[in-house]
Amino acid sequence: MKPAPRGTTGAAPFTRLLEMLRPDLLRFACWLARDRSVAEDVVQETLIRAWRSREELKDPAAARPWLFTIARREHARLYERKRLPTVDVDSVEALGDPALASEGDAALHDLRGAIMQLPDEYREPLVMQVLGGFSTAEIAGELGLTQAAVLTRLFRARNRLRTIYGLEPAEDVE
Amino acid sequence: MSTPDCRHARLHIGAAPHELPAEVTSHLAGCAECRRFHDETVSLDARLRSALEVPLSRFRQPPPRTRRFALAASVVLALLVAGGAWLLNPRPALAGDVASHVIHEAGSWDKQQVLSGADIDAVLHQAGVKYDSSMPVVYAMACPFHGRQVPHLVVQTAEGPMTVMLLMHEKIAARSEFSEHGFRGVLLPAGDGAVAVLSRGAAPSESLQREIVAGVN
Repeated sequence: MKPAPRGTTGAAPFTRLLEMLRPDLLRFACWLARDRSVAEDVVQETLIRAWRSREELKDPAAARPWLFTIARREHARLYERKRLPTVDVDSVEALGDPALASEGDAALHDLRGAIMQLPDEYREPLVMQVLGGFSTAEIAGELGLTQAAVLTRLFRARNRLRTIYGLEPAEDVE
Repeated sequence: MSTPDCRHARLHIGAAPHELPAEVTSHLAGCAECRRFHDETVSLDARLRSALEVPLSRFRQPPPRTRRFALAASVVLALLVAGGAWLLNPRPALAGDVASHVIHEAGSWDKQQVLSGADIDAVLHQAGVKYDSSMPVVYAMACPFHGRQVPHLVVQTAEGPMTVMLLMHEKIAARSEFSEHGFRGVLLPAGDGAVAVLSRGAAPSESLQREIVAGVN
């Protein structure tokens, strides 16, 4: 007889953990995919993979970056496998609720729009860093880049957003 | 930017303002220009975080779901058997909408004075909802939500103040917990509709959830 699962990997605690983290995971996937329906598919696949691999998660505190990593890989895999069309930056409409947009902070809305329009190579590490809490070394490892390349991408991502925030762009880096 | 040190510092500041190497921190102590750049970037980052932590409801909902790629039937079955049936239910945007609503009525949490039965009844009547709270109600407002007036209450409980939204026009299939905008909460089927219970601290206990739902039934 198989021993009963214990700790995080038990079915019920693990399910609760996934339920709790699902909104953050979906938000992360939305920013990566710029398309909610694709993001929901990514999250669905992520949760299934996480469920199958739940024995690997030893520390519940590490669940968030663990899930985000799975989601990022799943997102990349989805694009490789399905050859999904890339999103035309001029037609990005992910933030499309006009009622909420007018209710909220217009500057924040503009900033969201600018993040949406960042090229994937800038947006992905930025979202991993700010929303996912990954260090530059972790991002480099995950994206298969040097840490210097990650620093450059993050610098350029923020530099593009500075003007939206009313700041002068900094001199570009080599 | 003038010196190689400044260029090096700004690369790190612009890339990772919260992860600066020691030499950049030292440089900042003696370079006012880079310090200003750092302060600006930290300020930008706070806005950036707010922007990225967008309520899920702001991401356009997909059309009625047609799966873009099928799951292997064996995996689905395994998940169902393992008690993971919840995975197959598309998460309602309802939780995000409720949390977004509550975040805009931040003052409601600080109310202390217990409202009279007449005050509460007036709000319930305005929303066309019946509810019998067993706990003191310190805030009651009929709020526009999804095109209806819904009672938005704050009740004092042994677990601290809880926001209760009586969503009698919302159908949900099952209880689901959520965590949005710093709130922990739960959506509960109640009567013909739903009740949302939100806390700023720990999620409401199951006994408290039952007690709140009992007011509907």
